[in-house]
Amino acid sequence: MSETVIATRALSKTFRTRGRTVEAVRDITFEVERGERLAYIGPNGAGKSTSIKILTGILHPTDGDAHVLGHVPWRERKQLTTRIGTLFGQRSQLWFELTPRQSFRMLAAIYRLDAGAAERRVAELGELLDADDLFDVPARTHSLGQRMRCELAACLLHEPEIVFLDEPTIGLDLLAKQRFRELLVRLNRDAGVTIFLTSHDVADIEHVARRAIVINHGSVIADSDVASMRRTLLSRKLIEVTFADDVPAPELSGVTVLAHSGATLELAVDTDVRSVRDVLDDVLGSRRVVDITVLDPPLEEVIAEIYQS
Amino acid sequence: MVLTALTTAARRNTADRSSVLVNIVFYLIVATVLSALWRAAAEANGGEIVGYSMVAVTWYALAAEAATVSLNMRMIEVVCDDIASGAVAVELLRPASVLGLRISWAVGAALPRLGVCCLTAAVLGPIIAGPPTSAVGAALALPALALAITCNLVAQHAVASVAFWTRDVRAIWFVYQKIVFVLGGMILPLQVLPDALERVAMVLPFMAMAYVPSRLASGSVEPWLLGLQVVWLVALLGVARVAFGAGERRLQVVGG
Repeated sequence: MSETVIATRALSKTFRTRGRTVEAVRDITFEVERGERLAYIGPNGAGKSTSIKILTGILHPTDGDAHVLGHVPWRERKQLTTRIGTLFGQRSQLWFELTPRQSFRMLAAIYRLDAGAAERRVAELGELLDADDLFDVPARTHSLGQRMRCELAACLLHEPEIVFLDEPTIGLDLLAKQRFRELLVRLNRDAGVTIFLTSHDVADIEHVARRAIVINHGSVIADSDVASMRRTLLSRKLIEVTFADDVPAPELSGVTVLAHSGATLELAVDTDVRSVRDVLDDVLGSRRVVDITVLDPPLEEVIAEIYQS
Repeated sequence: MVLTALTTAARRNTADRSSVLVNIVFYLIVATVLSALWRAAAEANGGEIVGYSMVAVTWYALAAEAATVSLNMRMIEVVCDDIASGAVAVELLRPASVLGLRISWAVGAALPRLGVCCLTAAVLGPIIAGPPTSAVGAALALPALALAITCNLVAQHAVASVAFWTRDVRAIWFVYQKIVFVLGGMILPLQVLPDALERVAMVLPFMAMAYVPSRLASGSVEPWLLGLQVVWLVALLGVARVAFGAGERRLQVVGG
């Protein structure tokens, strides 16, 4: 049975600076079920970080209501912090001059964890994150990728039910990003931890999230599962065809030729104007086809389209 | 949590040998120069200055400089930078007092440096001036020094909380430092000040930050001064808690 772990209703936050009023978050309403992997995305200044700060209790909303694991975050921050984990890509929760293991001991004392249980948890996390060898080296000597694995261990030490991650892969190289995404998926799959992720990296969203909420100018502008977002939010399909012989470029309404080279065609189809089936009928005709692929547009394009709309 | 922060910070600072060495050298230079100046002043004044003999004023200087050198005197700037950068906002996500943890950590980091300064003074003092005039006074100076640095660090956090409202606190830091140096008795015994200023200094908390341990180390056996330090520590903790708490609430309303 599903259980709502995050619920917001008409959540708003207005900042007043030097006589100017900025609505950072406007009338945001959504729910997140336990065990979901949610991407909370939007362009710079859309209100993502403000939303996370409200949901974790470090910022008061101007209006509206929110419950995280049954707590009103800004009123019951201390109780909530024992049940959630947070990881900010640009802020560290490790003490740089200590080894991660020493930082974990500090955090265990802060979270009032039993020393023996904390040691066992650190060992588990070392194995899960393949980071045991990093725990005894001062954090200041780690590469960014190594540091982020230790940051994730610090964030998971008290076994949180929800993990809020604000741009966790920022600055990581390709391999480190891939590894980090796999860790998040494994964490969700194996431990049932709810993932609430913000990122500008579309690959983070594609590989980690099942659902995406898109916000812009402080408001939710899209909320759906990632796969259907790509399928339904853009009335565009991409067709790549390789024929046995050279073909001319087609001239059809609703069809844009993206690339044409001898026997190969790349087409973009506006499905509001013409169906993919019609295009295929017209283009293929009685020609011999070597290969054909029908693709959804890249998620990056979908998101850019949503932002622009 | 407080104990873990204290011991972790203390262990971390003890393990850093190069930092310990720099600490000893710096203390040796400052304490030697200042005590030489005060001995010269006492000698020119017939072997005594404002009631302090040459030996007493040397131990006063050694204790005052131990209370100064043990501290990260830029603590205010560190706290202000952390408030401005949003690091403090992230610390709010822990189920612990941000202020309590920060003060515990700062005191834990300062205590090993204080220990090193005291050991250095125990070697240097008898060489340059002779043993302390009162063993009891010298013994009382040790807990007084620990209380002195704690009072100073708590006060620095209280002052640093101004950064929740204004980003540039360099002027405040500059003024605070000078006040502690003069009215705290860090560079001169408070009795050297004009009478009116001395009376003012004696009722301000800054005297708990250097004057009290230095006075005890100089041979004045006045155990009640330790009680006065405890009173000031409690008062300063209250002020810091109110100021930092107000700053945290502001951060939660207007953002970081």
